Amino acid sequence: MSTTETVTSRTLKGKDLITIGIFSAIYFAINFIFMLMGGIHPILWIMMPGLIALFTGVPYMILASKVQKPGAVLILGLITALIYYVTGMFTVVILITFASACVLAEVVRWAAKYKSFTGNTISFAIFSVGMIGSPLPLWLFKDSFFAQISGQGISADYLSVLNSLANDGMLVVMVLAPVVLGIVGALIAKTLFRKHFAKAGIV
Amino acid sequence: MAEKGKRGTQELRLDPRTALLLLLFVTIVVFSHGSPYVEFALIAALLCLFFCCGLFKSGLKFILVFVFLLALQYYIFPVAPKIFADFFSILTFYTRKVFPCIMIGTFIVKTEPMRYLILAMRKWHFPQKLVIPLSVTLRYFPAIREEIVYIRDAMKLRRVTGAAKVEAYIVPLMFSAASTAEELSAAAVTRGIENPAPKTSVIELHFRMRDYICIICGLLFVVAALWLR
Repeated sequence: MSTTETVTSRTLKGKDLITIGIFSAIYFAINFIFMLMGGIHPILWIMMPGLIALFTGVPYMILASKVQKPGAVLILGLITALIYYVTGMFTVVILITFASACVLAEVVRWAAKYKSFTGNTISFAIFSVGMIGSPLPLWLFKDSFFAQISGQGISADYLSVLNSLANDGMLVVMVLAPVVLGIVGALIAKTLFRKHFAKAGIV
Repeated sequence: MAEKGKRGTQELRLDPRTALLLLLFVTIVVFSHGSPYVEFALIAALLCLFFCCGLFKSGLKFILVFVFLLALQYYIFPVAPKIFADFFSILTFYTRKVFPCIMIGTFIVKTEPMRYLILAMRKWHFPQKLVIPLSVTLRYFPAIREEIVYIRDAMKLRRVTGAAKVEAYIVPLMFSAASTAEELSAAAVTRGIENPAPKTSVIELHFRMRDYICIICGLLFVVAALWLR
């Protein structure tokens, strides 16, 4: 049903918009859980982009295959950013990384003509890297960052672990984790597609 | 949806545009100030808003939660076991920081029906392609929670462990999301969501005296916060 539609029209219709809205809700819910878990231990915060990538692969890939039109990922990102902005979790750094990741992911989808699994996987990996803006200030403005967050009620232990983790090696891990785990997430999605969704005609 | 029953005092509703502006102001204030005085004043002002609009119960709840947070930060964490304190101090810190945002967010959810908010966004010429998905997203969150409760209940009947558990959560969630998308869009298309003509509305929005008062108060807070930083 949707294949004939996509051939004829590349603009988002009511149905596409509603689908994007629903999957954005699921994406945001999973994202938010890991955002909260970041407060438990520094390592969880640094690995957050990777963990989010691992667990949001399925909704992203379903959205990408259901709405094979430009703009779906942009709107997904915009909604996520808007809700986070309102709850005060988005800083300028993450807005920049997140926005550029969304645009790049959208470009990749366009270049891959929206249908290919590889194209969607690459776009998802790029999209996931957008979340690195959350821990990135650790490396960007290390000293002022620590000066700013210490004395705000954050425990000294968390800070000292965080300080010892903020080295170059961890930076590489932090940036690569969403790429690698994003690909893993997409592969999981593919397995699930075969196992469940294709049969039911969802994708 | 939540208009009847929930709110007896219909007349005391703010214009949705005012509510959204207040949300913006609160966010600016929260992220530019550092002084506890601004924080307390802002929370007090928001509480006034709650009580003026008849939200006594949630106002009281917010007072209790805030007192609890303060008690945690100043009295309990210093003497609590270290692991416990480490675990919760950041969460507490962030909750306290964004507390005003949560308050105004709750206020909007409780007093403004979704269609008023949609109308407000339309009046501000938000693109339709953002308004529709955004309103669907906001409405779908409670559905996710419900869905997860059902899935958990169903899982209790069998022994599901490990990775299978994640799969058992995510697959039904995706199925219900996909079918909801299908049904909702059928309903929405039937009701003319794809009609390109400008949308009309039975509701009319008016700024009233209380809206101006709220906006001026909000602006004063923004100025104070930026000035005191």
